[in-house]
Amino acid sequence: MAARQGLHAVSPAFEAEALASLDSLYRAALRLTRVPADAEDLVQDTYLKAFRSAHQFEPGTNLRAWLFTILHNTARNRARDRARDTVQVDSEAVDQASAYAPATGRPETPETLLLRDTLAPELQAAIDALPEAFRQAVWLRDVEEFSYAEIAEMLAIPIGTVMSRISRGRRALYDALRDSSSQAPVPSRQSA
Amino acid sequence: MTTCHSIDALITPFVDGELGDTDRRAVEDHLRRCAPCHSREAAERTIRGLIQARRSPLQSMQAPAALRTACAALGRGVLSPQASGLNQSTRPATNDRRLSTDDRQLAIARGAGWRARLTPYALAASLVVIVGGAFLYQATDTSAQLLAAELTADHVKCFALNRALGTHQAPAAVESSLASGFGWRAHLPDDPKSAGLELVGARPCLYGKGKIAHIMYQQNGNPVSLFMLPDTAHTEQLVEVLGHEAKIWCVGNRTFVLVARQTKPEVERLASFVQAGLQ
Repeated sequence: MAARQGLHAVSPAFEAEALASLDSLYRAALRLTRVPADAEDLVQDTYLKAFRSAHQFEPGTNLRAWLFTILHNTARNRARDRARDTVQVDSEAVDQASAYAPATGRPETPETLLLRDTLAPELQAAIDALPEAFRQAVWLRDVEEFSYAEIAEMLAIPIGTVMSRISRGRRALYDALRDSSSQAPVPSRQSA
Repeated sequence: MTTCHSIDALITPFVDGELGDTDRRAVEDHLRRCAPCHSREAAERTIRGLIQARRSPLQSMQAPAALRTACAALGRGVLSPQASGLNQSTRPATNDRRLSTDDRQLAIARGAGWRARLTPYALAASLVVIVGGAFLYQATDTSAQLLAAELTADHVKCFALNRALGTHQAPAAVESSLASGFGWRAHLPDDPKSAGLELVGARPCLYGKGKIAHIMYQQNGNPVSLFMLPDTAHTEQLVEVLGHEAKIWCVGNRTFVLVARQTKPEVERLASFVQAGLQ
Protein backbone atom coordinates (compact mmCIF):
# COMPACT_ATOMS: atom_id res chain seq x y z
CA MET A 1 0.00 0.00 0.00
CA ALA A 2 2.97 2.25 -0.32
CA ALA A 3 1.45 3.66 -3.44
CA ARG A 4 -1.74 4.60 -1.61
CA GLN A 5 0.22 6.45 1.02
CA GLY A 6 2.18 8.28 -1.61
CA LEU A 7 -1.05 9.28 -3.25
CA HIS A 8 -2.09 11.16 -0.10
CA ALA A 9 -5.54 9.69 -0.36
CA VAL A 10 -8.22 11.48 1.60
CA SER A 11 -11.71 10.38 2.44
CA PRO A 12 -14.55 11.85 0.39
CA ALA A 13 -15.92 13.34 3.58
CA PHE A 14 -12.69 15.09 4.39
CA GLU A 15 -12.29 16.30 0.86
CA ALA A 16 -15.83 17.66 0.65
CA GLU A 17 -15.53 19.48 3.93
CA ALA A 18 -12.14 20.88 2.99
CA LEU A 19 -13.39 22.10 -0.37
CA ALA A 20 -16.29 23.85 1.32
CA SER A 21 -13.73 26.43 2.47
CA LEU A 22 -12.39 27.06 -1.02
CA ASP A 23 -14.03 30.44 -1.54
CA SER A 24 -12.96 31.86 1.79
CA LEU A 25 -9.44 30.47 1.34
CA TYR A 26 -9.27 32.07 -2.07
CA ARG A 27 -10.36 35.42 -0.67
CA ALA A 28 -7.73 35.08 2.06
CA ALA A 29 -5.11 34.24 -0.55
CA LEU A 30 -6.12 37.25 -2.61
CA ARG A 31 -5.74 39.50 0.41
CA LEU A 32 -2.29 38.03 1.02
CA THR A 33 -0.98 38.05 -2.53
CA ARG A 34 -3.20 40.69 -4.17
CA VAL A 35 -2.57 38.89 -7.47
CA PRO A 36 -5.23 36.42 -8.68
CA ALA A 37 -2.77 34.01 -10.29
CA ASP A 38 -0.61 33.96 -7.16
CA ALA A 39 -3.70 33.51 -5.03
CA GLU A 40 -4.79 30.50 -7.06
CA ASP A 41 -1.36 28.98 -6.80
CA LEU A 42 -1.32 29.55 -3.05
CA VAL A 43 -4.73 27.93 -2.62
CA GLN A 44 -3.70 24.90 -4.64
CA ASP A 45 -0.56 24.50 -2.60
CA THR A 46 -2.69 24.75 0.51
CA TYR A 47 -4.99 21.96 -0.60
CA LEU A 48 -2.08 19.84 -1.76
CA LYS A 49 -0.49 20.11 1.68
CA ALA A 50 -3.80 19.59 3.43
CA PHE A 51 -4.57 16.42 1.51
CA ARG A 52 -1.06 15.15 2.00
CA SER A 53 -1.19 15.70 5.74
CA ALA A 54 -4.86 14.93 6.24
CA HIS A 55 -3.87 12.20 8.68
CA GLN A 56 -2.48 14.90 10.96
CA PHE A 57 -5.80 16.68 11.22
CA GLU A 58 -7.58 16.00 14.49
CA PRO A 59 -11.20 15.10 13.85
CA GLY A 60 -13.56 17.25 15.82
CA THR A 61 -11.38 20.34 15.57
CA ASN A 62 -12.02 23.17 13.15
CA LEU A 63 -11.00 22.02 9.68
CA ARG A 64 -11.52 25.49 8.24
CA ALA A 65 -9.13 27.00 10.79
CA TRP A 66 -6.63 24.25 10.05
CA LEU A 67 -6.77 25.06 6.34
CA PHE A 68 -6.35 28.77 7.04
CA THR A 69 -3.30 27.98 9.15
CA ILE A 70 -1.77 25.98 6.31
CA LEU A 71 -2.53 28.81 3.90
CA HIS A 72 -0.91 31.44 6.07
CA ASN A 73 2.08 29.23 6.82
CA THR A 74 2.54 28.57 3.13
CA ALA A 75 2.34 32.27 2.34
CA ARG A 76 4.89 33.05 5.04
CA ASN A 77 7.25 30.36 3.78
CA ARG A 78 6.97 31.69 0.26
CA ALA A 79 7.72 35.18 1.44
CA ARG A 80 10.70 33.85 3.35
CA ASP A 81 11.85 31.90 0.33
CA ARG A 82 11.82 35.09 -1.64
CA ALA A 83 14.03 36.56 1.06
CA ARG A 84 11.67 39.38 1.68
CA ASP A 85 9.42 38.65 4.57
CA THR A 86 7.09 41.49 3.80
CA VAL A 87 4.28 40.32 6.00
CA GLN A 88 6.29 40.16 9.17
CA VAL A 89 8.28 43.31 8.60
CA ASP A 90 5.18 45.18 7.62
CA SER A 91 3.35 43.95 10.68
CA GLU A 92 6.00 45.03 13.09
CA ALA A 93 6.50 48.39 11.50
CA VAL A 94 2.79 48.93 11.59
CA ASP A 95 2.55 47.92 15.22
CA GLN A 96 5.17 50.46 16.11
CA ALA A 97 3.78 53.19 13.93
CA SER A 98 0.30 52.70 15.26
CA ALA A 99 1.32 52.65 18.88
CA TYR A 100 1.22 56.42 18.63
CA ALA A 101 -2.30 56.52 17.34
CA PRO A 102 -4.17 58.82 19.66
CA ALA A 103 -7.42 57.77 21.14
CA THR A 104 -10.40 59.54 19.76
CA GLY A 105 -12.75 60.63 22.43
CA ARG A 106 -15.78 62.19 21.01
CA PRO A 107 -19.36 61.07 21.44
CA GLU A 108 -20.20 58.38 18.96
CA THR A 109 -23.85 58.54 18.20
CA PRO A 110 -23.79 60.60 14.98
CA GLU A 111 -20.77 58.71 13.66
CA THR A 112 -22.39 55.46 14.52
CA LEU A 113 -25.33 56.40 12.38
CA LEU A 114 -23.03 57.31 9.52
CA LEU A 115 -21.19 54.05 9.83
CA ARG A 116 -24.43 52.19 9.74
CA ASP A 117 -24.97 53.72 6.33
CA THR A 118 -21.60 52.61 5.05
CA LEU A 119 -22.03 50.31 2.09
CA ALA A 120 -20.07 47.13 1.52
CA PRO A 121 -17.83 48.48 -1.28
CA GLU A 122 -16.80 51.41 0.86
CA LEU A 123 -16.15 49.13 3.79
CA GLN A 124 -14.21 46.72 1.59
CA ALA A 125 -12.06 49.59 0.30
CA ALA A 126 -11.36 50.75 3.83
CA ILE A 127 -10.41 47.24 4.90
CA ASP A 128 -8.16 46.88 1.86
CA ALA A 129 -6.47 50.14 2.76
CA LEU A 130 -5.57 48.89 6.23
CA PRO A 131 -1.98 47.89 6.87
CA GLU A 132 -1.45 44.20 6.23
CA ALA A 133 -1.25 43.08 9.86
CA PHE A 134 -4.47 44.79 10.89
CA ARG A 135 -6.31 43.76 7.76
CA GLN A 136 -5.61 40.08 8.34
CA ALA A 137 -6.53 40.19 12.01
CA VAL A 138 -9.79 42.09 11.54
CA TRP A 139 -10.83 40.01 8.57
CA LEU A 140 -10.11 36.69 10.24
CA ARG A 141 -12.04 37.74 13.32
CA ASP A 142 -14.98 39.76 12.04
CA VAL A 143 -15.57 38.25 8.61
CA GLU A 144 -14.33 34.69 9.01
CA GLU A 145 -15.18 34.57 12.72
CA PHE A 146 -12.19 32.61 13.93
CA SER A 147 -11.29 32.54 17.60
CA TYR A 148 -8.35 34.50 18.96
CA ALA A 149 -6.45 31.25 19.48
CA GLU A 150 -7.09 30.11 15.92
CA ILE A 151 -5.96 33.44 14.51
CA ALA A 152 -2.87 33.37 16.72
CA GLU A 153 -1.91 30.03 15.25
CA MET A 154 -2.57 31.16 11.68
CA LEU A 155 -0.53 34.31 11.98
CA ALA A 156 2.07 32.75 14.30
CA ILE A 157 1.72 35.54 16.84
CA PRO A 158 0.67 35.60 20.51
CA ILE A 159 -3.01 35.94 21.38
CA GLY A 160 -2.34 39.31 23.00
CA THR A 161 -0.94 40.55 19.70
CA VAL A 162 -3.99 39.20 17.89
CA MET A 163 -6.27 41.22 20.13
CA SER A 164 -4.23 44.38 19.83
CA ARG A 165 -4.16 44.09 16.03
CA ILE A 166 -7.90 43.55 15.91
CA SER A 167 -8.35 46.51 18.19
CA ARG A 168 -6.13 48.83 16.19
CA GLY A 169 -7.55 47.60 12.92
CA ARG A 170 -11.11 48.30 14.01
CA ARG A 171 -10.24 51.71 15.34
CA ALA A 172 -8.35 52.59 12.17
CA LEU A 173 -11.36 51.48 10.14
CA TYR A 174 -13.61 53.58 12.31
CA ASP A 175 -11.45 56.65 11.85
CA ALA A 176 -11.15 56.14 8.10
CA LEU A 177 -14.87 55.61 7.56
CA ARG A 178 -15.83 58.47 9.82
CA ASP A 179 -13.41 60.76 8.04
CA SER A 180 -14.56 59.70 4.61
CA SER A 181 -18.18 60.11 5.58
CA SER A 182 -17.43 63.67 6.64
CA GLN A 183 -15.72 64.33 3.29
CA ALA A 184 -12.30 64.59 4.85
CA PRO A 185 -9.27 63.01 3.21
CA VAL A 186 -8.95 59.36 4.14
CA PRO A 187 -5.69 58.62 5.87
CA SER A 188 -4.26 55.29 4.82
CA ARG A 189 -2.62 54.93 8.15
CA GLN A 190 -2.98 56.50 11.52
CA SER A 191 0.30 57.74 12.78
CA ALA A 192 1.47 60.44 15.06
CA MET B 1 -9.48 50.13 40.95
CA THR B 2 -9.46 50.01 37.18
CA THR B 3 -7.50 52.44 35.05
CA CYS B 4 -7.94 53.35 31.40
CA HIS B 5 -4.68 51.63 30.68
CA SER B 6 -5.72 48.37 32.25
CA ILE B 7 -9.13 48.52 30.62
CA ASP B 8 -7.86 49.27 27.14
CA ALA B 9 -6.55 45.77 26.50
CA LEU B 10 -9.88 44.34 27.60
CA ILE B 11 -12.03 46.38 25.27
CA THR B 12 -11.56 44.14 22.24
CA PRO B 13 -12.37 40.87 24.04
CA PHE B 14 -15.21 42.73 25.75
CA VAL B 15 -16.68 43.70 22.38
CA ASP B 16 -16.16 40.14 21.16
CA GLY B 17 -17.86 38.68 24.21
CA GLU B 18 -14.74 36.82 25.18
CA LEU B 19 -14.35 38.07 28.76
CA GLY B 20 -15.19 36.19 31.92
CA ASP B 21 -17.76 37.63 34.32
CA THR B 22 -15.28 39.42 36.56
CA ASP B 23 -13.45 41.22 33.78
CA ARG B 24 -16.66 41.96 31.96
CA ARG B 25 -18.16 43.65 35.01
CA ALA B 26 -14.97 45.62 35.56
CA VAL B 27 -15.09 46.90 32.00
CA GLU B 28 -18.77 47.75 32.24
CA ASP B 29 -18.17 49.69 35.44
CA HIS B 30 -15.30 51.59 33.91
CA LEU B 31 -17.13 52.41 30.71
CA ARG B 32 -19.97 53.95 32.66
CA ARG B 33 -17.53 56.32 34.31
CA CYS B 34 -15.09 57.02 31.46
CA ALA B 35 -16.21 58.74 28.27
CA PRO B 36 -12.97 58.25 26.28
CA CYS B 37 -12.92 54.51 26.96
CA HIS B 38 -16.60 54.29 26.23
CA SER B 39 -15.91 56.02 22.95
CA ARG B 40 -13.24 53.49 22.03
CA GLU B 41 -15.52 50.64 22.90
CA ALA B 42 -18.31 52.14 20.82
CA ALA B 43 -15.97 52.55 17.86
CA GLU B 44 -14.90 48.91 17.97
CA ARG B 45 -18.42 47.67 18.50
CA THR B 46 -19.67 49.77 15.61
CA ILE B 47 -17.04 48.45 13.23
CA ARG B 48 -17.59 44.87 14.30
CA GLY B 49 -21.32 45.31 13.85
CA LEU B 50 -20.84 46.98 10.51
CA ILE B 51 -18.60 44.21 9.17
CA GLN B 52 -20.95 41.54 10.41
CA ALA B 53 -23.88 43.30 8.81
CA ARG B 54 -21.99 43.49 5.51
CA ARG B 55 -20.43 40.05 5.74
CA SER B 56 -22.45 38.59 2.95
CA PRO B 57 -21.35 41.05 0.24
CA LEU B 58 -17.83 41.06 1.65
CA GLN B 59 -17.74 37.32 1.06
CA SER B 60 -19.34 37.42 -2.35
CA MET B 61 -16.14 36.87 -4.30
CA GLN B 62 -15.82 33.25 -5.26
CA ALA B 63 -12.90 31.18 -6.36
CA PRO B 64 -12.63 30.67 -10.12
CA ALA B 65 -14.29 27.52 -11.39
CA ALA B 66 -11.02 26.21 -12.75
CA LEU B 67 -9.38 26.57 -9.35
CA ARG B 68 -12.25 24.72 -7.73
CA THR B 69 -11.91 21.87 -10.15
CA ALA B 70 -8.17 21.75 -9.78
CA CYS B 71 -8.35 21.65 -6.00
CA ALA B 72 -11.02 19.00 -6.12
CA ALA B 73 -8.75 17.03 -8.38
CA LEU B 74 -5.95 17.28 -5.88
CA GLY B 75 -8.10 15.50 -3.31
CA ARG B 76 -10.24 13.22 -5.35
CA GLY B 77 -7.71 12.79 -8.05
CA VAL B 78 -5.15 11.23 -5.85
CA LEU B 79 -7.54 8.67 -4.49
CA SER B 80 -7.28 5.15 -5.71
CA PRO B 81 -9.71 4.24 -8.46
CA GLN B 82 -11.81 2.05 -6.16
CA ALA B 83 -12.47 5.04 -3.97
CA SER B 84 -14.00 7.02 -6.77
CA GLY B 85 -17.44 5.66 -5.98
CA LEU B 86 -18.24 7.84 -3.04
CA ASN B 87 -19.62 6.52 0.15
CA GLN B 88 -21.93 9.34 1.02
CA SER B 89 -22.70 7.99 4.46
CA THR B 90 -19.16 8.70 5.57
CA ARG B 91 -19.61 12.42 5.23
CA PRO B 92 -19.93 13.93 8.69
CA ALA B 93 -22.24 16.75 9.53
CA THR B 94 -20.43 20.02 9.28
CA ASN B 95 -21.52 22.77 11.56
CA ASP B 96 -20.19 25.75 9.71
CA ARG B 97 -21.43 25.04 6.27
CA ARG B 98 -22.25 28.10 4.26
CA LEU B 99 -25.22 27.79 2.08
CA SER B 100 -24.65 28.19 -1.58
CA THR B 101 -21.00 27.32 -1.72
CA ASP B 102 -21.34 24.22 0.32
CA ASP B 103 -24.34 23.04 -1.55
CA ARG B 104 -22.36 23.28 -4.71
CA GLN B 105 -19.48 21.50 -3.09
CA LEU B 106 -21.78 18.78 -1.96
CA ALA B 107 -23.13 18.43 -5.41
CA ILE B 108 -19.63 18.05 -6.70
CA ALA B 109 -18.64 15.65 -4.02
CA ARG B 110 -21.71 13.53 -4.25
CA GLY B 111 -22.30 13.63 -7.90
CA ALA B 112 -19.59 12.49 -9.49
CA GLY B 113 -16.62 10.61 -10.43
CA TRP B 114 -13.60 11.85 -12.14
CA ARG B 115 -14.98 12.46 -15.53
CA ALA B 116 -17.91 14.50 -14.31
CA ARG B 117 -15.69 16.55 -12.07
CA LEU B 118 -13.26 17.25 -14.83
CA THR B 119 -15.91 18.20 -17.32
CA PRO B 120 -16.09 21.86 -16.27
CA TYR B 121 -12.39 21.80 -16.03
CA ALA B 122 -12.00 20.73 -19.58
CA LEU B 123 -14.18 23.75 -20.14
CA ALA B 124 -13.99 24.98 -23.66
CA ALA B 125 -12.98 21.55 -24.62
CA SER B 126 -9.31 22.06 -24.68
CA LEU B 127 -6.80 19.38 -25.12
CA VAL B 128 -3.57 19.96 -23.43
CA VAL B 129 -0.43 18.09 -24.05
CA ILE B 130 2.10 18.58 -21.36
CA VAL B 131 5.68 17.73 -21.86
CA GLY B 132 7.46 17.61 -18.61
CA GLY B 133 11.08 17.11 -17.85
CA ALA B 134 11.63 16.42 -14.20
CA PHE B 135 14.96 17.04 -12.58
CA LEU B 136 16.09 15.46 -9.36
CA TYR B 137 13.21 13.22 -10.00
CA GLN B 138 13.08 10.33 -7.60
CA ALA B 139 9.86 10.21 -5.68
CA THR B 140 7.80 8.13 -8.02
CA ASP B 141 10.19 5.88 -9.84
CA THR B 142 8.96 2.71 -8.20
CA SER B 143 5.37 2.58 -9.26
CA ALA B 144 3.96 3.23 -12.67
CA GLN B 145 0.50 3.67 -11.19
CA LEU B 146 1.71 6.21 -8.69
CA LEU B 147 3.78 7.96 -11.31
CA ALA B 148 0.80 8.23 -13.60
CA ALA B 149 -1.49 9.42 -10.80
CA GLU B 150 0.83 12.15 -9.63
CA LEU B 151 1.54 13.33 -13.13
CA THR B 152 -2.18 13.38 -13.81
CA ALA B 153 -2.78 15.51 -10.74
CA ASP B 154 0.04 17.77 -11.84
CA HIS B 155 -1.40 18.02 -15.30
CA VAL B 156 -4.77 19.01 -13.89
CA LYS B 157 -3.18 21.66 -11.74
CA CYS B 158 -1.09 23.11 -14.51
CA PHE B 159 -3.96 23.13 -16.93
CA ALA B 160 -6.01 25.14 -14.46
CA LEU B 161 -3.16 27.55 -13.91
CA ASN B 162 -2.65 27.92 -17.59
CA ARG B 163 -6.26 28.84 -18.00
CA ALA B 164 -5.84 31.47 -15.34
CA LEU B 165 -2.67 32.83 -16.88
CA GLY B 166 -3.82 32.59 -20.46
CA THR B 167 -0.46 31.38 -21.68
CA HIS B 168 0.05 31.10 -25.40
CA GLN B 169 3.51 30.55 -26.83
CA ALA B 170 5.08 29.73 -30.16
CA PRO B 171 7.04 26.48 -30.65
CA ALA B 172 10.36 28.30 -30.73
CA ALA B 173 9.63 29.95 -27.38
CA VAL B 174 8.70 26.63 -25.83
CA GLU B 175 11.80 24.91 -27.19
CA SER B 176 13.89 27.78 -25.93
CA SER B 177 12.42 27.51 -22.44
CA LEU B 178 13.06 23.77 -22.41
CA ALA B 179 16.67 24.37 -23.36
CA SER B 180 17.28 27.18 -20.92
CA GLY B 181 15.23 25.84 -18.06
CA PHE B 182 15.99 22.16 -18.36
CA GLY B 183 19.01 21.78 -20.58
CA TRP B 184 16.87 19.70 -22.88
CA ARG B 185 17.32 20.63 -26.52
CA ALA B 186 14.02 19.30 -27.70
CA HIS B 187 12.44 19.78 -31.06
CA LEU B 188 8.68 19.63 -30.80
CA PRO B 189 6.79 17.48 -33.26
CA ASP B 190 6.33 19.21 -36.59
CA ASP B 191 2.84 19.74 -37.92
CA PRO B 192 0.96 19.06 -34.67
CA LYS B 193 -2.26 19.86 -36.51
CA SER B 194 -1.98 16.52 -38.26
CA ALA B 195 -2.74 14.98 -34.87
CA GLY B 196 -5.33 17.63 -34.11
CA LEU B 197 -2.98 19.40 -31.72
CA GLU B 198 -2.40 23.09 -31.27
CA LEU B 199 0.46 24.41 -29.18
CA VAL B 200 -0.56 26.53 -26.22
CA GLY B 201 2.66 27.09 -24.34
CA ALA B 202 5.04 25.94 -21.67
CA ARG B 203 5.01 26.44 -17.95
CA PRO B 204 7.62 25.45 -15.39
CA CYS B 205 6.35 24.06 -12.12
CA LEU B 206 7.47 21.99 -9.18
CA TYR B 207 7.18 18.27 -9.10
CA GLY B 208 8.58 15.88 -6.52
CA LYS B 209 11.80 17.44 -5.46
CA GLY B 210 12.56 19.00 -8.80
CA LYS B 211 11.20 21.19 -11.53
CA ILE B 212 9.16 20.14 -14.51
CA ALA B 213 8.49 21.93 -17.72
CA HIS B 214 5.06 21.58 -19.18
CA ILE B 215 4.34 22.12 -22.81
CA MET B 216 0.68 22.46 -23.51
CA TYR B 217 -1.31 21.83 -26.63
CA GLN B 218 -4.97 21.97 -27.37
CA GLN B 219 -6.95 19.46 -29.32
CA ASN B 220 -10.64 18.93 -29.86
CA GLY B 221 -11.62 18.98 -26.28
CA ASN B 222 -9.86 16.35 -24.24
CA PRO B 223 -6.84 16.92 -22.06
CA VAL B 224 -3.62 15.07 -22.66
CA SER B 225 -0.31 15.36 -20.87
CA LEU B 226 3.13 14.32 -21.97
CA PHE B 227 5.82 14.32 -19.31
CA MET B 228 9.53 13.77 -19.80
CA LEU B 229 11.51 12.44 -16.86
CA PRO B 230 15.28 12.44 -17.27
CA ASP B 231 17.46 9.66 -15.93
CA THR B 232 14.48 7.47 -15.24
CA ALA B 233 13.50 4.10 -16.62
CA HIS B 234 10.09 2.51 -16.81
CA THR B 235 8.78 -0.34 -18.84
CA GLU B 236 6.45 0.59 -21.64
CA GLN B 237 2.84 0.28 -20.58
CA LEU B 238 -0.59 1.86 -20.65
CA VAL B 239 -2.04 2.61 -17.20
CA GLU B 240 -5.59 3.62 -16.40
CA VAL B 241 -5.65 6.12 -13.59
CA LEU B 242 -8.05 8.72 -12.25
CA GLY B 243 -10.21 8.67 -15.31
CA HIS B 244 -7.20 9.17 -17.52
CA GLU B 245 -5.04 6.89 -19.60
CA ALA B 246 -1.30 7.20 -19.07
CA LYS B 247 1.04 5.90 -21.72
CA ILE B 248 4.57 5.37 -20.45
CA TRP B 249 7.63 4.76 -22.58
CA CYS B 250 11.35 5.34 -22.56
CA VAL B 251 13.79 6.82 -25.02
CA GLY B 252 17.38 6.52 -23.91
CA ASN B 253 17.61 7.63 -20.32
CA ARG B 254 14.36 9.56 -20.48
CA THR B 255 10.92 8.37 -19.53
CA PHE B 256 7.94 9.89 -21.29
CA VAL B 257 4.42 9.75 -19.94
CA LEU B 258 1.46 10.85 -21.99
CA VAL B 259 -1.70 11.37 -19.95
CA ALA B 260 -5.09 11.87 -21.54
CA ARG B 261 -8.76 11.35 -20.98
CA GLN B 262 -9.19 9.96 -24.45
CA THR B 263 -9.81 6.38 -25.31
CA LYS B 264 -6.94 3.94 -25.11
CA PRO B 265 -6.47 3.80 -28.91
CA GLU B 266 -6.45 7.59 -29.15
CA VAL B 267 -3.91 7.88 -26.36
CA GLU B 268 -1.75 5.29 -28.08
CA ARG B 269 -2.09 7.26 -31.31
CA LEU B 270 -1.12 10.54 -29.66
CA ALA B 271 1.78 8.86 -27.92
CA SER B 272 2.98 7.43 -31.20
CA PHE B 273 2.71 10.82 -32.86
CA VAL B 274 4.70 12.53 -30.13
CA GLN B 275 7.19 9.69 -29.96
CA ALA B 276 7.79 9.91 -33.68
CA GLY B 277 7.89 13.67 -33.89
CA LEU B 278 9.73 14.68 -30.73
CA GLN B 279 13.45 14.98 -31.23
